Amino acid sequence: MQQLPPPIVRKKPDHLGLAIVGLLLIGLVALGLNIFLNMKAVGVTPGYGFLVQAAGFDLSESLIPYDASDSYSRVIVAGLLNTILLAFVSLVLATVVGVVMGLVSVTPSPAGRIIAMLYVELFRNLPKILVLLVLYVVAVRGLPAVRQAVSFGPIHLSNRSIYFPTIEINAAQVWLILPLVLALCLSAYWVHRARRIQRETGRGTPVLLVVFALLIALPLGAAFLFQIPMKIDVPQFQRFDFEGGGRLSIQFLVVLVTLGLYHGAQIAEVVRGGILAVPTGQVEAGKALGLSPRYVTRLVILPQVLRIVIPPMINQYVNLIKNTSIAIAVGYSDLMAVSGTIINQTFRPLEMMLVTMGLYLGLCLLASSAMNGLNKRLRARSARSAT
Amino acid sequence: MIPASLPPAVSRDLFRKWAGTPLTAFVSLVSAIIAGVVIWWVLDWIFLSAVSPLLPMDHCVDASGACWRFYVEKSRFMMFGTYPYAEHWRPALVSVLLLVLSVCVGLRITGRLRFLSPRVLAILWVGIVPVVFWIMGGGAGLVEVDMSRWNGMPVLLILSVIAIALAFPLGVALAVLRHQTRWPVLRRAAIVYIEGMRGFPMVTVLFVGVFVLPLTLPPGTRISPVMATLVALVFFHAAYFAEDVRGGLQSLSASQTEAAESLGFSSVQTLRLVVLPQALSRSLPALVNSVIGAYKDTSLVVVLGIHDLTSTARMAFSEPGWGQYALEAYALVGVWFLLSCAFLSWVGRELHRKQSTKSH
Repeated sequence: MQQLPPPIVRKKPDHLGLAIVGLLLIGLVALGLNIFLNMKAVGVTPGYGFLVQAAGFDLSESLIPYDASDSYSRVIVAGLLNTILLAFVSLVLATVVGVVMGLVSVTPSPAGRIIAMLYVELFRNLPKILVLLVLYVVAVRGLPAVRQAVSFGPIHLSNRSIYFPTIEINAAQVWLILPLVLALCLSAYWVHRARRIQRETGRGTPVLLVVFALLIALPLGAAFLFQIPMKIDVPQFQRFDFEGGGRLSIQFLVVLVTLGLYHGAQIAEVVRGGILAVPTGQVEAGKALGLSPRYVTRLVILPQVLRIVIPPMINQYVNLIKNTSIAIAVGYSDLMAVSGTIINQTFRPLEMMLVTMGLYLGLCLLASSAMNGLNKRLRARSARSAT
Repeated sequence: MIPASLPPAVSRDLFRKWAGTPLTAFVSLVSAIIAGVVIWWVLDWIFLSAVSPLLPMDHCVDASGACWRFYVEKSRFMMFGTYPYAEHWRPALVSVLLLVLSVCVGLRITGRLRFLSPRVLAILWVGIVPVVFWIMGGGAGLVEVDMSRWNGMPVLLILSVIAIALAFPLGVALAVLRHQTRWPVLRRAAIVYIEGMRGFPMVTVLFVGVFVLPLTLPPGTRISPVMATLVALVFFHAAYFAEDVRGGLQSLSASQTEAAESLGFSSVQTLRLVVLPQALSRSLPALVNSVIGAYKDTSLVVVLGIHDLTSTARMAFSEPGWGQYALEAYALVGVWFLLSCAFLSWVGRELHRKQSTKSH
């Protein structure tokens, strides 16, 4: 039979759509004009000139050197960095909490399952802002003042901050990059070799242990050999406050715990769903092949769980990044709090909200595209190794 | 005939469940300890160290547990905030109206209350919005109350229930626009709107509502923060609802549309009578999830100085002399959210159950 050519679809030009979108745009322009008029009425000209002016307010904490005489643009960058730090640390905490609770929720132990279920249900049915406010009140009232700070070894916790030891920054430490690069190269070689041995003889070689040992031992050894200062800066209580070391405010800690618990509950559900979705036949088949329980978990269950779990996890991570903005409720100087203060000071809500929303959108897009790319590569690799 | 074998010994089974492997035993032990400690704390706080509501407030000063008298003194304030005291029946009535209507809708979509047709419910929805604003705001026979004094429970319900109700049709429209292919420009616009809105944190959208929206009005006009927040919430939730409805639209096979068209239905009729009813009922479980999220997130308006339930609870213990009762105040809010979300979750579970029995 003769193959017919596909029918020619003539695209009708979308006059209606153009007209409606055009009308919407005209409406937006009218609203913009109103903004211009309203701002003019209070003597403000719209524009971004104010970004170079001195901000004039202090931040409780900042990752970059900052004081009140610095410009608005610098304070926005400081806020953005605080948001990124908060998002990253809460992401790790939420993942750990979520995976642990997800695993507990599928153990045979009834007590464990009940605890996991109660935890998930509690945090799924409470607003995150309420959790945040309660934890904040409990932390500020329940923790002791600086003078009576609770100490866990070199780490001290008061109702204002948590103090912990850090490594003193020194210019000579730049040279430690060399042994670090060397360690990375060696571990890459080791991984390659382990794979080859596995392929040829089927024997396993320890990989993680060796890689970690290399990454830690080589820079430390180099520091010792060449006398590069690696002084540990321990917080010491002086007359009024702790000096030295690093510190994070109680606000940071409270938001971190809130996001960790809140998203931990949702990640626990994701993990639980992923584990339950692996058919029992798979586990039984693994056992029938003579794999030990450890290998059944590592080679049969885990790869399948990961495949199911990663896309909803990416979704959770993006939500978590957006939810860091609740930090404004307890006054942690993240991007949202900083831009709220700037709006109050300069009366430029439009300009500031455009910047803030653009930054959040960019952050989310960046994170999700990075994770999606990683996911794609993982899938491609597992598809290759499967054939 | 082979006699039925005895069931395995229960005690062995129990032991295997609780402590089959060392790891299981460890999990059981830790969980049991946590459960014990938490239960003890809660019991101690609620009853053992608590102060009876019959005793006056000064007994509470040294108590480590809950001060039940606090609720006697402050629960009315937490419910209605600074609304004029003599007029408290109005916010109470509004709260009851909105709650009853929401519960009716919830029961109706799980297949109960069959006598309420969707059309009646929709009309009630549309009708209740002006009634709520009239009862709360006054005028025409009622004492006028400024929106800045609308506090507590009615604000939470207005900002959640009414915002969700108004966002829903907008969400459906956006989903349909994104799904169709006839007007590519509108499709693009819907995609940009939905994906953009979902990329912003809710707090930023609320900020736009409260700070930018008043600026966009012609000079001289004013909009109260509660109204501005309501508008922002409607536009925000609509994007999420649109995604849920789109899921339903996509799960529908194209033959449904083709069949309707071959029967001579116009495109509007196809949409209204064939596509949307099926797509909506398929997207209901996802929609219920979004509704729970939207409802919980309504309390984020605290950061804007709008006094919903969470915020009036905070006000209740912020007055000098009341500072130690923060947990009591937040506990009330927590219990309220747990109860109302439990109802919504139940609706979601019922829908899941119904759909899984339907598909078999």
